[in-house]
Amino acid sequence: MLTAMKIEAIDYGERKVYTVAAFNRGIASWLARLPTVWVEGEVTELRRQDRWQTVFFTLKDPASGACLGVTIGRGQFDGLRLDLSDGERVHVYGRPELFEQRGDFRFRALTIERFGLGAHLAALERLKKKLAAEGLFAAERKRSLPLVPERIGLVTGNDAAAKRDVLAGITARFPPARVLVAETYVQGPRAAPAIIDAIRHLCAAPGVEVIVIARGGGSFEDLLPFSDERLVRAIADCAVPIVSAVGHEQDTPLCDLVADVRASTPTAAARVVVPDLGELLQGLETRRSALETGTRRLLDRDVRRLGQAQERLRRGPALLLERRRARLEQAGGRLRALSPRATLERGYAIVRAQNEIVRASSRLAPGDEVDVELGDGAFSGEVKETR
Amino acid sequence: MTETPATFEAAQRELEHIVERLERGDATLDDALALWQRGEELYRFCREKLDSAQGEIEELAKRAESAVPPETASRPGV
Repeated sequence: MLTAMKIEAIDYGERKVYTVAAFNRGIASWLARLPTVWVEGEVTELRRQDRWQTVFFTLKDPASGACLGVTIGRGQFDGLRLDLSDGERVHVYGRPELFEQRGDFRFRALTIERFGLGAHLAALERLKKKLAAEGLFAAERKRSLPLVPERIGLVTGNDAAAKRDVLAGITARFPPARVLVAETYVQGPRAAPAIIDAIRHLCAAPGVEVIVIARGGGSFEDLLPFSDERLVRAIADCAVPIVSAVGHEQDTPLCDLVADVRASTPTAAARVVVPDLGELLQGLETRRSALETGTRRLLDRDVRRLGQAQERLRRGPALLLERRRARLEQAGGRLRALSPRATLERGYAIVRAQNEIVRASSRLAPGDEVDVELGDGAFSGEVKETR
Repeated sequence: MTETPATFEAAQRELEHIVERLERGDATLDDALALWQRGEELYRFCREKLDSAQGEIEELAKRAESAVPPETASRPGV
């Protein structure tokens, strides 16, 4: 232990001189007696390599620009799964330490925490406002989904319950559906770029007409990749409509806002991407029978019309005859009324002398021969006297 | 005076013409008698035409009814 080590000076007469190593060891042991504390600052110059035992970064005071070198064991750092990037504000718990060999002072971190959710929420809110101002969440941008997609792309974690729910939901509603699954990271630092890759991959696959992004619930931090600006823009730019089934009741990741359709759960996502085959078939059957009924009704009507036409066809000539007969009978009646025979039958007679009808007695003289025609028959006679 | 009319319509026209002439009353009695006789001939001619046409129609209708009952013939097989 450094604290237990004796620091010895070399005496040159009255002057006490320390070797560099002894001096450094002395400072180091003194520093080691300081308590562990929390220090707040912004992460800059983060250096992490797989072959290094230690991760380095500089903690910067955003107000004054003051800097503090920080080290942390790589295993420990990776275990925190913080996905830190430059400029992020953190709280670091640790104590000062001197790297004796180089006389470098730095802060030895035992753990790191993000500077609380408030800052994240604020950043998220800013991003949301910015993207909304660009119109990325606008209702008129939303595309409608195909009724029956040829293929469905599904972006999900490799063993996620979300995946199972979506697949089960799709199969139950529409058994012949074809789903292309792209498994990817759904949380952590690599999630956002990996999801973007998965979307591009599915977009390029032939026949994919809709893409579902599904993830079950998770903590606020778990869902952060789904609010990543790069991912949000990738969804907005995607050629294929996207259904987002990521959300939560409380937190709405930005990908839910930019997606064409937002589903509250993975099962709900299945409901929106495929129709219910049973309902579809039933609807089809209803229409088919309506078609049959309609056709039958039309046929019945035509049969009725034909019957009526036949009736009229038959009545036509009879009617014509009837009219002709009426007209003929009218002429016949008038003819009969005018018949001279009818007049004779009433008691009149026609008198002829030398085949001329006699209209005046002055044309006759006693002794003339006359022929008299009656209603029934005729006779001849001699004029006795004229008046 | 006893020539046969070409058609029913011609006979009907002639008959009506005769009736009109007789109604005007300007024909001599001899002419009137002749016209009247001709009218009677025409009337009989027309009457016979109509009667025979009526018979023909009834005959045809009877034959059509016994040949194809229309209700069953045009019903679609379901």
